[in-house]
Amino acid sequence: MLEKMIFGRYIPGDSFIHRLDARAKLLFVFFFIMVVFIANNWITYGILLVFTFLIIKLSKIRLYFLINGLKPVVFLIIFTFLLHLFFTREGPIILDWKFIKIYEEGLKQGIFISIRFTVLVILTSILTLTTTPISITDALEILLNPLKKWKLPVHELALMMSISLRFIPTLMDETDKIMKAQMARGSDMTTGNMKERMNAIVPLLIPLFVSAFKRAEDLATAMEVRGYRGGEGRTRYRKLEWALRDTLTLLTLVVLAVILVYFRN
Amino acid sequence: MKTKTIAVTGVIAALYVAVSLLVAPFAFGAVQFRIAEMFNHLIVFNKKYFFGIVLGVFITNMFSPMAAYDLIFGVAHSIITLSLTILATKYVKGNIARMVINTVLFTFTMCIIAFELMLALDFPFFYTWLTVAAGEFTVLAVGIPIIIALDKRLNFKTLI
Repeated sequence: MLEKMIFGRYIPGDSFIHRLDARAKLLFVFFFIMVVFIANNWITYGILLVFTFLIIKLSKIRLYFLINGLKPVVFLIIFTFLLHLFFTREGPIILDWKFIKIYEEGLKQGIFISIRFTVLVILTSILTLTTTPISITDALEILLNPLKKWKLPVHELALMMSISLRFIPTLMDETDKIMKAQMARGSDMTTGNMKERMNAIVPLLIPLFVSAFKRAEDLATAMEVRGYRGGEGRTRYRKLEWALRDTLTLLTLVVLAVILVYFRN
Repeated sequence: MKTKTIAVTGVIAALYVAVSLLVAPFAFGAVQFRIAEMFNHLIVFNKKYFFGIVLGVFITNMFSPMAAYDLIFGVAHSIITLSLTILATKYVKGNIARMVINTVLFTFTMCIIAFELMLALDFPFFYTWLTVAAGEFTVLAVGIPIIIALDKRLNFKTLI
């Protein structure tokens, strides 16, 4: 089960994208979400596809991983495509067979939205495939720093996120173990109606919560014993460094946006 | 912030992620049953659980195939609804009544997720709202007795 999870799915490597600062990558993906909405015709969507392909090449990630990451959404993409194909009724009819009528606009919209979605899924996958969760946390802490003014506990949040990333594999193992232990005792979580399945979850959650809270307590004691006093004056072991390539990467996005605006209808 | 609160929050978030990734068969998309969503009820015991739940949602959505959207809308959904529940608990006493309110609020605000799916995939807004809200409502409604059962053993109020 655990092997199926591609997350924590960071793949070590030494490509241009791997070397980029995590802050740059986060900002890039954030603004890219908005930029894709500029595209609205064949040329602009074509440009988006080429751009994504270039990024895949630059990240040196094998296509196999990306296709694997797409698998869970293939159904969603096909469903969306069909939805548009059959329900958008604009433009000339291109197929009229018995009760099925397919309009040109429906086909076009279906293709466009599928491209937009695929491109976004691929780019986010590249972000998580080339950046360790810990550097994403660090980057978020720095990017959110200005919010300290509004009393958002940024440092504490980043620490909580690191703690939680550290405990996910442990707790997943534990969930798996308790699930198997309860199944060995005759608990059935995979069959029955919704209510029966939900009830089967109680004997899973109780031991899970008890052990999780015990771990948290131990951790808190350990932190206090070691003299943890919050973020003030703390130094860092891992440092993020902004380089010229990061600025250039963000500029590429501006150029892409300008090109898309020029070619859109 | 107390060290214990930080540690418990981190672990609660990890628990949310572990449970939604291992137990729920469909945690993303138009028809969702994210079992871990029942952790949203923890907010009625102590508002300090806020960050634990929000972080849990944030990290889980980092795993989502549509992370780009889920990270923004999913997290916004949790922040807005949990804040509304905290506000409501000022006027309502009794944990069960609060959980019922929490369920109603979360079901209603699923319109944010429906809006996300409309934006991302051009799904019809009201129909999607209905399907995602149905999943959320089921999990939260069935979650009430489960969380009460858990609270009897664990006493959530004092744990954080």
